[in-house]
Amino acid sequence: MSIIQLKNLKKHFGNQEVLHDINLEVNKSEVVVLMGPSGSGKSTLLRCLTFLEEPTAGAIKIGEHTLAAGEKLTRQRKNKIRDLRKSTGFVFQQFNLFPHKTAIENVMEAPMIVKGMKQDEARELAQSLLDKVGLGERCNHYPSQLSGGQKQRVAIARALAMKPTVMLYDEPTSALDPELVREVLQVMKELAKEGMTMVVVTHEMRFAKDVADRVVFMDGGYIVEQGRPEEIFNQPKEDRTKRFLAQVIGE
Amino acid sequence: MDVSIIIESLPPLLNAVLMTIFLAVISIIIALVLGFFTSLERISKIKILSKIASIYVSVFRGTPLLVQIFVIYYGLPQVNIEMDPIPSGILALSLNAGAYLSESFRAAILSIDKGQMEASVSLGMTYSQALRRIILPQSLRVAIPTLSNTFIVLIKDTSLVSVITVTELLQMSSLLIAKTFEPLTIYLMAAVLYWILIAFFTALLDKVEKRASQHVTL
Repeated sequence: MSIIQLKNLKKHFGNQEVLHDINLEVNKSEVVVLMGPSGSGKSTLLRCLTFLEEPTAGAIKIGEHTLAAGEKLTRQRKNKIRDLRKSTGFVFQQFNLFPHKTAIENVMEAPMIVKGMKQDEARELAQSLLDKVGLGERCNHYPSQLSGGQKQRVAIARALAMKPTVMLYDEPTSALDPELVREVLQVMKELAKEGMTMVVVTHEMRFAKDVADRVVFMDGGYIVEQGRPEEIFNQPKEDRTKRFLAQVIGE
Repeated sequence: MDVSIIIESLPPLLNAVLMTIFLAVISIIIALVLGFFTSLERISKIKILSKIASIYVSVFRGTPLLVQIFVIYYGLPQVNIEMDPIPSGILALSLNAGAYLSESFRAAILSIDKGQMEASVSLGMTYSQALRRIILPQSLRVAIPTLSNTFIVLIKDTSLVSVITVTELLQMSSLLIAKTFEPLTIYLMAAVLYWILIAFFTALLDKVEKRASQHVTL
């Protein structure tokens, strides 16, 4: 049963078409890794999913929320977009933690403001989520007092606090020092094990091999090919995929 | 220079300092509110609001404060808007400082990384919730240094309302000089008092700035 459904999704930036007619379905509890060279449209695709970028054409369905692209931004549509976002956790490359709030306040913010949760309840929820990402001890630290890996784990906890049905990760480890990548991937791996549906834009081959159910390879705004990680990595059909893999492995 | 003149002039001058502080503090409070809402109007997507705000800012930054004081105090009575010297002075000072503050606020709001807004809305917040809870608290911290600068300029600008007979520090000095014929002594005393006043507020605002910017790294 698919929980995410993209139909004929297109995105233009001015004259430039960044996404051509993307069709993609993601099943419940599936982990999909989006790979491809920079400029291939994978981040744009992910951002379109929660309307951080407004798609030019097509339709997006996440859970029970369906939205067609390019409609006028009425109050009703804004509410629909907001409902879709509430059920979709988004993790950014640059973390985007709120610097004026402590780790626990970062996590408590959305449940309190968006869902109207009581402070005590939100604190309890936030504490349990920080414990889960291994940062229970650091709950009163400000983002400036945390390492990159810790910041990203707080960001994951913050997204989880809204009890999303899917989690989207936009290059979650690209801004991290190499020794901090593992701790973040570990948290993501555990979430995957619990059955969280995830779409991950990443260059981490190891993670894709170990965790992904499917690898989607994109180039130039098209989905070039997709399949199980071992298929894509060991027997890629398309030349573009082969070239890309050779480069990534070469590094 | 006669020491007795200093001793005799000090109490009335200190009294006038209170008026200067009163003018500055009341005006900055009004200017903060005015500047804050003007900055929101300027970044708003409603064209007419942002147009009105930008005309206000342009007019009050583009004309001398002294002219603004004259227009308000001597000009407006002609269209039957009459105000006492003190309210006129406060009105001119706060409209003027408000225009400058709105620009500081606007720059501070725009200086916040756009990832902050994206993170907020991606969690399901509305634009105004994100502005209120996430963007504005950070921009206020960013704005504090320019804000204290505006306040210090405002303290000095209060001397301009002496021309409409408000008995603040400078006006009091002139009155004392008329009695004592000691312009050098009295004006220097006034200068020292301004200096002490501003040094005090500078130190105070520096402390506020340090505390507020503790966890906001730019």
